[in-house]
Amino acid sequence: MKTIVLGVGNSILSDDGVGIHVANQLKQKINNPNITIDEALTGGMSLLDLLLGYDKAIIIDAVKIDNVEEGEVKRIPLSTFSTMHSCNPHDVSLSEAIQMAEKLGETRIPKEIIIIGIAMKKLPCVFGENLSEKIAMAVPKAIEMTLSEIRKDDLKFKLR
Amino acid sequence: MKTITIDPITRLEGHGKISIFLDAKGDVANSYLQIPELRGFERFSQGRRAEDMPQITSRICGVCPVAHHFASTKALDAAFNVDPPSAAKKLRELMYCGYYIYDHILHFYYLGGPDFVVGPDAPAAKRNVLGVIEKAGIEIGKEVIKHRAYGQKITGILGGKATHPVCGLPGGVSKGLDKDEVKEIEKMGKSCVDFAKFSLKLFDDIVLKNKDYVDLILSDPYTLKTYNMGLVDKNNKVNFYDGKIRVTDQKGREHIKFDGKDYFKVINEHVEEWSYIKFTYLKDIGWKGFKDGKDSGIYRVGPLGRLNAADGMATPLADKEYKRFYETLGGKAVNTTLAFHWARLIELLYATERVMELIKDPEITSTKIRNPVGKPGEGIGVTEAARGTLIHHYKLDKNGLIDKANLIVATTNNAGAINMSIRDAAKGVIKKGKVNDGLLNKVEMAFRAYDPCFACATHTLPGGMPIEVNIYDNDKKLYKKLRRNL
Repeated sequence: MKTIVLGVGNSILSDDGVGIHVANQLKQKINNPNITIDEALTGGMSLLDLLLGYDKAIIIDAVKIDNVEEGEVKRIPLSTFSTMHSCNPHDVSLSEAIQMAEKLGETRIPKEIIIIGIAMKKLPCVFGENLSEKIAMAVPKAIEMTLSEIRKDDLKFKLR
Repeated sequence: MKTITIDPITRLEGHGKISIFLDAKGDVANSYLQIPELRGFERFSQGRRAEDMPQITSRICGVCPVAHHFASTKALDAAFNVDPPSAAKKLRELMYCGYYIYDHILHFYYLGGPDFVVGPDAPAAKRNVLGVIEKAGIEIGKEVIKHRAYGQKITGILGGKATHPVCGLPGGVSKGLDKDEVKEIEKMGKSCVDFAKFSLKLFDDIVLKNKDYVDLILSDPYTLKTYNMGLVDKNNKVNFYDGKIRVTDQKGREHIKFDGKDYFKVINEHVEEWSYIKFTYLKDIGWKGFKDGKDSGIYRVGPLGRLNAADGMATPLADKEYKRFYETLGGKAVNTTLAFHWARLIELLYATERVMELIKDPEITSTKIRNPVGKPGEGIGVTEAARGTLIHHYKLDKNGLIDKANLIVATTNNAGAINMSIRDAAKGVIKKGKVNDGLLNKVEMAFRAYDPCFACATHTLPGGMPIEVNIYDNDKKLYKKLRRNL
C-alpha cells in the first residue's frame, strides 16, 4: 500500500505554513519505501496531480473551523468537507477536481483522503516564516495524529 | 453545517465582498469590491539575499508563480547589471508560454467559460466545469485535462517544478534543454496548437453564433471605455515576457510607449479608505474617480488590455484571429468586458504557436545560458502575468541584500476597472430599489472576465464561489444582503 503525506500551505505566510513545518519534521522521523512525504503550495487540480497513484493520502493543512479552539488538531475525511475552497483562486477545489477526474474515468485517485487540520483563527495571514505560539504547539499533535493514521494501515510501522 | 476552508487565500478576510450604494431613487450610485491584500511584504523582504527573491515572490500567491518568478528574475538582471545570453531569454520565454497555456485553459474551461458554455442564466450549481463537461462531452473534458497538464509539464521541464519554478537566476537560467526534452516539448506543443484552434472554434460555435450572447457581450453594462496597457515587441505585437509597455486610448491609438524602468513616471497610485488596494492610473491624465473615457486615467490590463494595446499577434494563426476579433466586434479598441474571454483564447493560440517557434530554434539547446553578474544596484523587471502587467522593483545594498522592494501586480492595475464593471453590472439589475434575482450572476460575470487574483474568483462546490453583496440605501443603512457559499 502506497501512502502520500502532504504538507500544504505557504511557508512565507506565517501560520499558513504549518502543514509544511509538520511535513518537514515527519521527513526526519520516517524512512519507509511505501510512504512519500512532500509539500505543496497548491490546491485543486495541481494538488490532485500530486496524489494520483497512491492508495491513501494524508493532507496536513491549516483549516478554519467554526467553534474550534485555535491550535486544535482535527482528523477530517475529505468526504465530510462542507465547503472547500481551492488553495489557488485560479483553480477549482480539490473536491471538484476529484469529482471531475472520476467523471473522466481517472482510476488513480486515492481511495482514502484524510485531512489533518490545524485550526487557525488569525486572519488575514501576514508575511513571516515563524509560527505563532498556539500553532507551534499544535505541530507535535499533528505529527502524532499523522503517525497514528499511518499505523492504522501498517501495524508493523516503525519510526526511523 | 460547519464551514471548513483549507486554502491560504480564502482565509483572508473580505473575499468577494461587494458593497453597493443606492441613491435617493433607489438606483445604483456606487459600488465597491474589497480585494484582500497581503500586507508587510516590503518589510518581509528587507535584508534578504536578492537571488532568493524569484523563489520568495513566486510564493506570494498561488495564482501566478511563474509570472512573479520571472518579473523578479528580470528585476535582478537589471539590479546586477547583466544581460542574459539570448538562449536563456528564449528558455525563459518558452517556459512562460507553458504557463500561459495551462493558466488560460484553466480560466476558459473551469472559471470563466461556464458562464458562456453552460449559460449565464443556468443555475449556479450547473455553472462550473462539471456543467461544461456535461454540455461539451466527456471526450472534450479529457482533452482539457490533457492540455492543461501539457502546459504544466512544459513549465516543469524548464522550471524544475511545475508550480513554483526554481530556474531563474540573475543573468540567465540554471538549466538548459537536452534533445529528448526538446522532442517531448515539441510533441506536446503541436498538440496544444490544435487544442487552441479547437477552443476558438468552440467559442465560435457556442458563443459567437448565439445572438443572445453576442448582444450580452456588446451590451452597455459590460462596456468600459478605458485606456489599455500591455507589453509589446519592437513591431508592437503582443509579448508576454519582454518588450516595452504600451498604452493605447479608447480608439486604439498609441498614447504612450515606455521602458518598464520608467513605470513610476507614467503610473501613479490612488488610495481609497475602504480598500487596501491602491488604484493605479496614468499620471498625465490623472485620477478622476471611478470614471471611464479619455479624461480618466484608469486603464485595463490582461488579455483584452494587451490585445488593445498592441497592433497584432506575432504568430500567423493568432494574428489572423486577432484581425477577426476586431472585425467582428467593430474595430479598435474593443471596450466590451466580456471580450476578455475571446482575447484569452487568442492568446492561448499565440502561446502554443510561440512554443513551436522557440522549440524549433537551434539555439534552444545551447549550453550558454548564464552570464556573470555585475555589482548590485537597483532594478525593475516587467512581465505580463496572464491577468496583466506585473512590475517588480528592487533596491539592493552593496552586499546584494534587499533594501527596498515594491511590486505592482496585475489585479492592482485592473482594480479601478473591475470596480466600475461591477457597478455597471449592478446598475442593470437594480432599479428603484428593486433587486433582480440575477444580481449575483451578473456581478460575478463582470469581474470574473478579468480573472482577478483574489479568493472569490473560483468556483467551488456545490457550484458557486463565495460571494457577499451588501446593498446600502441613500442613508448608508444596510438595505439588503445577498450571500452565497459563505
